Amino acid sequence: MEEFDGEPTVTWIPGVNSQKKQMCFDWGPGEMLVCETSFNKKEKSEMVAGCPFIHIIRKDIDVYSKILRKLFNESHGIFVGLQRIEEELTGKSRKAQLVRVSKNYRSVIRACMEEMHQFAVADKDSAIGRQFSSQVSILSAVELIWNLCEILFIEVAPAGPLLLYLLDWVRLHVCEVDSLSADVLGSENPSKHESFWNLPGNTQTLTELELRWQHWHEECERHLQDGTFASNPHLESLCKVLLGDDAALLEHKELLSNWYHFLVTRLLYSQPTVKPMDLHLYAQSSLDLFLGGESSPEPLDNILMAAFEFDIHQVIKECSIALSNWWFVAHLTDLLDHCKLLQSHNLYFGSNMREFLLLEYASGLFAHHSLWQLGVDYCDHCPELGRVSLELHIERIPLTTEQKALKVLRVCEQRQMTEQVRSICKVLAMKAVRNNRLGSALSWSIRAKDAAFATLVSDRFLRDYCERGCFSDLDLIDNLGPAMMLSDRLTFLGKYREFHRLYGEKCFVDAASLLLSLMTSQIAPRSFWMTLLTDALPLLEQKQVIFSAEQTYELLRCLEDLTSGRPLCGEPDAQQLQDDDIETTKVEILRLALARNLARSIIKEGSLEGS
Amino acid sequence: MLSHDAQMDYYGTRLATCSSDRSVKIFDVRNGGQILVADLRGHEGPVWQVAWAHPMYGNILASCSYDRKVIIWKEENGTWEKTHEHTGHDSSVNSVCWAPHDYGLILACGSSDGAISLLTYTGLGQWEVKKINNAHTIGCNAVSWAPAVVPGSLIDQPSGQKPNYIKKFASGGCDNLIKLWKEEEDGQWKEEQKLEAHSDWVRDVAWAPSIGLPTSTIASCSQDGRVFVWTCDDASGNTWSPKLLHKFNDVVWHVSWSITANILAVSGGDNKVTLWKESVDGQWVCISDVNKGQGPVSTSVTEGQQNDQ
Repeated sequence: MEEFDGEPTVTWIPGVNSQKKQMCFDWGPGEMLVCETSFNKKEKSEMVAGCPFIHIIRKDIDVYSKILRKLFNESHGIFVGLQRIEEELTGKSRKAQLVRVSKNYRSVIRACMEEMHQFAVADKDSAIGRQFSSQVSILSAVELIWNLCEILFIEVAPAGPLLLYLLDWVRLHVCEVDSLSADVLGSENPSKHESFWNLPGNTQTLTELELRWQHWHEECERHLQDGTFASNPHLESLCKVLLGDDAALLEHKELLSNWYHFLVTRLLYSQPTVKPMDLHLYAQSSLDLFLGGESSPEPLDNILMAAFEFDIHQVIKECSIALSNWWFVAHLTDLLDHCKLLQSHNLYFGSNMREFLLLEYASGLFAHHSLWQLGVDYCDHCPELGRVSLELHIERIPLTTEQKALKVLRVCEQRQMTEQVRSICKVLAMKAVRNNRLGSALSWSIRAKDAAFATLVSDRFLRDYCERGCFSDLDLIDNLGPAMMLSDRLTFLGKYREFHRLYGEKCFVDAASLLLSLMTSQIAPRSFWMTLLTDALPLLEQKQVIFSAEQTYELLRCLEDLTSGRPLCGEPDAQQLQDDDIETTKVEILRLALARNLARSIIKEGSLEGS
Repeated sequence: MLSHDAQMDYYGTRLATCSSDRSVKIFDVRNGGQILVADLRGHEGPVWQVAWAHPMYGNILASCSYDRKVIIWKEENGTWEKTHEHTGHDSSVNSVCWAPHDYGLILACGSSDGAISLLTYTGLGQWEVKKINNAHTIGCNAVSWAPAVVPGSLIDQPSGQKPNYIKKFASGGCDNLIKLWKEEEDGQWKEEQKLEAHSDWVRDVAWAPSIGLPTSTIASCSQDGRVFVWTCDDASGNTWSPKLLHKFNDVVWHVSWSITANILAVSGGDNKVTLWKESVDGQWVCISDVNKGQGPVSTSVTEGQQNDQ
């Protein structure tokens, strides 16, 4: 087993503290459950309750922060835009665009910080206020790291301008540095130096610059040696500082807020044309000198050091460990990947680092009731494993409202995730049936192409009709169209409703034919035949003859089939029919009506030639 | 009373618990709340495990108990009721697991009588039973289904046709073995593989969800304190290689995969739940300890049991 680079974090569960008991657990879609238990399966297991609670543990609580939500939403927009950047752009224009993206991300972080800072200040003394404050520091550190990565990895500042970028970086972030120290150590001299550099558009080459600086440096040295400033210790100290004397700089340590401020200052006065590849040497020594063995490096220090060493993987790794949320590493890695800076660092289980981090981040989003939609886009842009990840997550999204269900379905349909569509429609159909919304249930089962369920719902409709004498959801049934073919029962339902419509429109002959065909074609379930025959009564009682003689014979045959008690396809209903008094009366009435109709139809058909 | 198992439903909105007081309780845990929805009585002994069926079949829960019974509960018109009771075992039933929803409504049950039974819902309240006798000598402690994978073609099947799934599941037993079972064309279940590596009773097995790679993964844990992660390269089809995740100092009772299979949780006798992830070079690394004890933590707390009056 590989050793982890730090101790695994321990999460304590309050109240659960026993020598004898263990914890059982289960994964939820976005969280984990634990509760105290005893795994020893004895019959007489302890009846004493240790801790009666079940705890729900979530790793990604940031998802629930209202302010961070803006960060997630806006960075999502930047992410998607980045994925669409034209591949053809190369060289300078591509780099400029990538730098712009990086700056966009940073401005989103800063905006979020601003807002949080306001909340922190407003609520200064409460626990919430303190929480906001600590969030602000975290975001500030995140922006600090991102900015440095932008300078070193994306901007790829060459020797010379590198220091200027670093100066800006320090100035931007070391805002606690008060103006006095800035005067002594920073502002006066850099401005002198800036005019010295006169960049951009500087026509001097790096070598020329170096020479000039060298010359100036030597002059300063000479002044120091000659004791020009001997009378004024303050000026002498200043001169030493200008010469990049470490000891002198460290004397004013309290004015330097941290080691990287120290680093940049040192470089300014001793190595202004520092090359990127030499940066790490100065970085390491600056850290060591500044800390002076009194304290050890913090996680942030390690991250920055890794950046100075141009070890991108180490930066990502340290950030993953230090931060509670995958947001930063996911987006930064993605951007660096677009800069073609990540070697294809294939993880054992097949994913590359970029996808791995993006999907980790997306997983956290799926736990949220509305941010899940952002998660979908992140999965979309992971060509190897994104689709499967999306399939696993999308089915777990609680379908709390019809609107949400439709959104989820649209996502699945757009991506041809037919299995998920079916599964979700089935869940919705089941839910609808249990809430007695038959129309809804039917349309969901049709969408799911679930014949068995469609049959079930159709049966319910028919049962309702028998009980109430009317149909619910007529619109739906009238407009089934080809979906009617999904199941026999559904077809029957549709056709039966059509019969009623024809009857209502007084197309009696058509209605009559349809009614008969429902029985002769075996589409109608046996249990429904009595109802159908009863439906035929008004047609038989009409003034004009509707059923032909042949049709009447058919009807008679159906009635006989039904009442004969013959076992037909295993349905027991025929037997019951005989025992029922009401049924017997109905049958009598039917027989009479059919006989009369037969007589009339024979006469009518026989007389046709005559008239 | 002591909880023996707790399970979230598919969406994380409901929680089912079972305990030594023979009850099965269901809670609504939406929006951080905790509302007792049902207190189900029917078992005559401690209830060891509960399992939620896929929501497309409705709200269905299975429970198994020392009383040798498996009970299937269903919510109908807002109330929970017993919908089926399976009494085909001669000894405590230790584990229940629902098959992937694609196969229909099928429940696998492992028992201390060494047998595994498979209950298939055939409609109209009827359940068909298939029994695998002597699956494990002395007893079967755990069952876990393989994810549904349609062999070969990925083309959408026409609605009337059922795709040809190859149904498989894994079981762990007191014979120190993990066995892989496969359904044959005639509907009978056959032992396909034996995975040997543990030196004591296998307490739990967990088949990882499919993440789109051609490998299959199973985690197993045992009385011998070891947790193994078994992988099979599906191209070859039949060679499973174990990798030792860790050797704990005590019995390891339970292993479970997160839904995207990127984290394995392990519950050990050392009173901790540890979370493991696979690292870049294929080694398994512990990323977190969830420990018992006093201490501040920002979690939401749900009262799992109501104290008896």
